Amino acid sequence: MARYLLRRLGSIVISLWMLATIVFLLVNVLPGNVGRKVLGPTAKEADVIAFNARLGTDKPMLEQYWVSMKRIFTFDFGESFQSAAPVTELLLPALGRSAKLALLAFIITIPISIAAGIFAARRQDTLADRVVVNVGLASSSIPEFVSASVLLALFAVKWPIGKVYANVPPGSSFFGQLEYLLLPALAMVVAYFGYIARMTRAGVISALHADYIRTATMKGLDQGTVMRRHILRNALAPTITVISVQIGYLFGGIIGVEKIFNYAGLGSTILNAVGKKDIPVLQTGVLMVGAIYMISTLLADLLIAYLNPRVRLEAD
Amino acid sequence: MSSPETNNLEGPVSADVQKKEKPITERSIARQENWRLIRRKPGFIIGAVISAIWLACGIFPNQIAPFDPLDYRVDNNQSPSWTNLFGTDRGGRDVFSRVIAGATDVLKIAPLAALLGVMGGVILGMFMGYLRGRFDTVASRIVESFLSLPVVLLGLLAVTTLGNSNWVVIGVVATLFTPVVARTVRAAVLAERELDYVTSAKLRGEPGWFIMFREILPNITGPIIVELTVRIGYAVFTVATLSFLGAGPPPPSPDWGSQVSDSYNSLISGYWWSTFFPAMAIASLVIAVNLIADSVQSVLDGQ
Repeated sequence: MARYLLRRLGSIVISLWMLATIVFLLVNVLPGNVGRKVLGPTAKEADVIAFNARLGTDKPMLEQYWVSMKRIFTFDFGESFQSAAPVTELLLPALGRSAKLALLAFIITIPISIAAGIFAARRQDTLADRVVVNVGLASSSIPEFVSASVLLALFAVKWPIGKVYANVPPGSSFFGQLEYLLLPALAMVVAYFGYIARMTRAGVISALHADYIRTATMKGLDQGTVMRRHILRNALAPTITVISVQIGYLFGGIIGVEKIFNYAGLGSTILNAVGKKDIPVLQTGVLMVGAIYMISTLLADLLIAYLNPRVRLEAD
Repeated sequence: MSSPETNNLEGPVSADVQKKEKPITERSIARQENWRLIRRKPGFIIGAVISAIWLACGIFPNQIAPFDPLDYRVDNNQSPSWTNLFGTDRGGRDVFSRVIAGATDVLKIAPLAALLGVMGGVILGMFMGYLRGRFDTVASRIVESFLSLPVVLLGLLAVTTLGNSNWVVIGVVATLFTPVVARTVRAAVLAERELDYVTSAKLRGEPGWFIMFREILPNITGPIIVELTVRIGYAVFTVATLSFLGAGPPPPSPDWGSQVSDSYNSLISGYWWSTFFPAMAIASLVIAVNLIADSVQSVLDGQ
């Protein structure tokens, strides 16, 4: 177990390093002058030179790479080009806000979609099953910004149930916050409902045909117990994997939702950094998303092993 | 899938002799049968009809659209009417015409990006699965770290540094799809390479590239076709999202994503049509492509 964890953590570090390299290469492909890019074409040449000297962007590429990697691995992510504030000071609160939104989305999505998956699996090939399958397929194929803009049009403008801007005013009560976050969270629910429901359905259907379920039913257990103790324990493994993958992808999809609802989360911060060529913010933001994804995948694997001891933990 | 034994191994029974003589026919019969099954799926029919409509719009936008999609002539923010079916946007352009013209870019970019990504993935996955060893280990690590990032985020980063152009979007999406496809192909190749026909091909002294692309490849077309249709759906999704985030086809392209991005701020004033219709266009196309992909997958995976 400890050895497994160590190997997984090691591979996470290697993956993050490769990710950092990919990001470094991407932001440095153009031999452009960083100071000129950031300060704009009207800035004075002297300012541009001073800017580059201060940030070290006038150094040779290899040296910049070395410095940038060294800083990442010592958790020194540098300062924002724009505001000169430490990058983490900018990104961590934004990450917190995104996490709040994502959490709400997951609290709504997971029970609904698992219930829908079980419901459909028990009525395999009936009309109800087909409705769940096809609604799931449709909802998971729509980009988040599309569902967000339609929800905004319908439920913030036409029938104003939610708010147009998702930014919660400071000092709001719990339910006050919900009012602001509900619509953007629902936009993400639409996107993730389909994957989780379809995966649950597939898992439950294959478990329903297993011998041990027949045995459990034959020995007289009631349906509820069979479902809870026998089917779900086995059927939910792929569902948990999908959920963990979704947590990573969620931060990609959340950018569109945050843009539509003007929400100051991680997505908006990264998007803003893209526009301003704020490379330290960009680099750190992307690494954060990568780290979240890798850690959530690891946690999912541990949870699956806990639920189903037959799954042995092996690195790769 | 037909018998993989297209080589000259001795078959003792006459049925095998027949099989040996017409290997291509047998495979094409299986293919026809699959195609017949796919065509009968209601999901496939709905998806194909919707896609065909958008394809027509994408190829002949000027013949179908009643107005010039880039023309600012008409009054702005007009609600839908008989002249302007989907109303006009804040620049006074006809939304109906823009939605039709918007099909062109996404239908040029998404399938091409998916195709290139699948080709790259097939080549990479084939080498990983067939060669194994150190190459596979290193490549798997790289593939894994690519998979750990949302495609949209890396795409956004790449388009920002490389500049907006259709070719950059195609290249970026294709590059990001390559590792995903490679993983699927690698798994398929790992299963195939243990089979007898590969062993006998090796014993005959066929070169590695021949075994990979002439012996193994024809036997893993099923998962590759599934991957291609699924990837086209994701490509439409990704291109639309990138263009919404300002990293798609450059302006003044009437691309659907940029239309939504252009007009969602005027939703608050009640001008819902200039956002709603391009958003629905994206939704209908991605759902259509995914319905096709789902039908193809259910037939080819079920065999």
